[in-house]
Amino acid sequence: MSQIQERGSTHVYIVNKISKEEIESMVERCVYEQPPFCNAACPLKLDTRSLLKAVADGDFKKALQLYEKIAPFPLILSQGCEAPCEAKCRLCERGDGIAIREIESAVARLGEQSRLGSVFRTGKKQKVAIFGSGLFALFLAGELEKKAYPLTVFCEEPDLESFLHCETEFLDPEAFSQELKRLKRKDIRFEFGCELTPDFFTDKRRDYQVVCASEKAARVFFTDAVCIPELMYFEEQNLVMGLGKGVMPAAFGAKKAALTVDRLAQKLDPRNTRGQEGSVESRLYTDLSEASQLCRVVCPEDGYTKNQAMEEAGRCIQCHCEECLRSCAYLKHYRKHPGLLAKEIYNNTQIIMGDHQLNKPMNSCSLCGQCTVVCPNGFDMAHVCHLARQNMVSTDKMPLAPHEFALLDMLFSNGDAFLARPQPGFEACRYVFFPGCQASAIAPATVRAAYEDLCSRLDGGVALMLGCCGAICDWAGRYEMQDQTVEFLNRELNKLGNPIIIAGCPSCRKELCGHTSLSVCGIWDILNEIGLPKGTEKLNRPMALHDSCGARGDARTQESIRRLAQGLGVELIETPYSGDRSPCCGYGGLTAYANPEVAGEMTDSCLERSDAAYLSYCMACRDRFARQGRESRHLLELVYGTDAGAPPDISEKRWNRLTLKKELLQELWGEDCMEDKLDFELNYTQDARRMMDERMILTDDVIAVLSDYRVSGEAVLDEESGLLVARRRVGNATFWVGFTQEGENAYLVHRAYSHRMQVVRREG
Amino acid sequence: MAAEKNYYTIDPEGRLHCMKCHVPLIKGKAKFMYLDNGFPVELPVCPVCGFVYVPEELALGKVASVERALEDK
Repeated sequence: MSQIQERGSTHVYIVNKISKEEIESMVERCVYEQPPFCNAACPLKLDTRSLLKAVADGDFKKALQLYEKIAPFPLILSQGCEAPCEAKCRLCERGDGIAIREIESAVARLGEQSRLGSVFRTGKKQKVAIFGSGLFALFLAGELEKKAYPLTVFCEEPDLESFLHCETEFLDPEAFSQELKRLKRKDIRFEFGCELTPDFFTDKRRDYQVVCASEKAARVFFTDAVCIPELMYFEEQNLVMGLGKGVMPAAFGAKKAALTVDRLAQKLDPRNTRGQEGSVESRLYTDLSEASQLCRVVCPEDGYTKNQAMEEAGRCIQCHCEECLRSCAYLKHYRKHPGLLAKEIYNNTQIIMGDHQLNKPMNSCSLCGQCTVVCPNGFDMAHVCHLARQNMVSTDKMPLAPHEFALLDMLFSNGDAFLARPQPGFEACRYVFFPGCQASAIAPATVRAAYEDLCSRLDGGVALMLGCCGAICDWAGRYEMQDQTVEFLNRELNKLGNPIIIAGCPSCRKELCGHTSLSVCGIWDILNEIGLPKGTEKLNRPMALHDSCGARGDARTQESIRRLAQGLGVELIETPYSGDRSPCCGYGGLTAYANPEVAGEMTDSCLERSDAAYLSYCMACRDRFARQGRESRHLLELVYGTDAGAPPDISEKRWNRLTLKKELLQELWGEDCMEDKLDFELNYTQDARRMMDERMILTDDVIAVLSDYRVSGEAVLDEESGLLVARRRVGNATFWVGFTQEGENAYLVHRAYSHRMQVVRREG
Repeated sequence: MAAEKNYYTIDPEGRLHCMKCHVPLIKGKAKFMYLDNGFPVELPVCPVCGFVYVPEELALGKVASVERALEDK
């Protein structure tokens, strides 16, 4: 058997196949983390989406906590806010946007205040003073108190009520009284009745590390005061100051000013490390197709009641872009948006020493490209995972175990089971039929019928090539092996006279298109051209069409398949996610080998789209659907009236390929194949066959163990089970077989298992 | 001298027999090796021919999980 070299653990970093810039530009395409439009429009960055969700759920306490994060005085803000968020609500495009301001107002009125305040906070050492009153001073006092600065407010007003009343005349008495209570609970020291003169300021400022003032006070202290609006800072006098009028400018100004205070308190330049302030543009994608409640709940003059607010907030569609997460079983399984997963997978490729925890996710993507089609920005997870796999191979970090069975299977397809012959009677041919390794493995009779049909109806000769197109090593990221495969196939095609390739599988068609200059078409194209073979039965039955991921973006193939199926009398059931949006059956990208669980979820997600029998045009899809117990047929089975029957196990797949080759060689080309006959009889219990299939153990592996046992006599008798257990190292694994002897030259296999570790006796 | 570390121990307790040498397997010293790592263990070993037996539970349990961990190193 061909072998593949296991990797070592002392690595030489050979070549980086993946660039950080490329990944970053891909990550940039994922808009999952973009803020919703309401949140982006809010200069104070209120988490509006979460607030509306909390209100819709009736959790006003949580809603108020969210609101208090940006508003130390929620009633003042909600009554005076200009609500730039409302105009940006996506529902405005279909009907009424959400009445966010009224909901906030209801939250501020009805929400239960959290009693936990500054109890667990560690106070800061730098003392801050605010001179003056008004909205800016009030909001800034709230912000700085939240940040735990020892804070003193110097104001002209004689008491707290008057201080709060300044610039808040619009508040109704109830709201005023609530905000007064809130202000009283804050840990702020006030000096009332101060005469805010320049001398007073000069005198007092000495005791404070940072000083702030309302615009009015600042202009009294310094008639030439110039405020930098981005920082709320009069640099010349090292004074944080207010600017402008109105609730929103004051609230936003106080936010910026509080950050400036932080920088100054740390003796840093207030210009640096400020992050993104104010409203921003969002690139989020929102699917509005399911938005249904488009009319605003009418708001009474005295504001929403709790129930009304809940109803109005319940209209929010909670803008999220989850187009790929909704459709892709792989992303659903890992519960991560592709931007994050791509970043993590890239980081995984860059680890020199340590655990590569993202190996499994990287190898679990089916590389099918569905995400790229459903993503509004064309995010290509397949490209990321494929590059990452290649990178792991190039840096000798890629474990062989997840892909070894598939790679060995490919070597088998292009080795023992490979066949390339011109049509009998021809030296060079106009065409070559390339059915694909899965077709020969799963439906050999269909392959033969198709080949014989093509030979009989096409002019110029049709050669046959049974083998693997190279998709297996391509998917595994084994680029060197892929180069060798391409070279091998091109050499063989050249021997056949460089014919037009008629692929039997859309993935082979796609793969071969990329690796040969020859023209490649699908058998479906030819059949549409020359018509169905004589005697093809009309089916007149409904079937759900599953498009192959190999045909994604290939409108011609998809159309060709539909025409052919309709010609066969199939009433096609188009399912959601058909055509270019079709998901992978779980075979693609070697997911079935690297992560059978995810592959199973992919198959299930394909099958949950319809209860009907499935029609596919890739043999791997046919096989996986049939394995799940669904009636599943390949288009060519319908064309040629064949039935591949129950899905074969892994050993039968190999046997089918070998037998097809042998029969065709004998019957079409008159060549005899040497057959290795076993000199002993080997039978399997049903259990053994099942576990061998699950554990990827071939009958060939079992034969190797038993052959070895018959020569060496080395085995262990387990008294408990009564089984003899023998073993043999084959390639990179040790296979163990539990059997009973059923006569001199006959054995019944009960169990089989394997491990990759080598085990040796140790002296001492 | 410090006691030698064993990562895993199985005592056959006389239930396993070497078919070649017709003797019971005993608890003996063995070593698992994978990707340039070695793990000393004690497994059922034939005292005559040195056949080392890896039971199914061990192969599919501990050995498989250590293999996965080393593969991702």
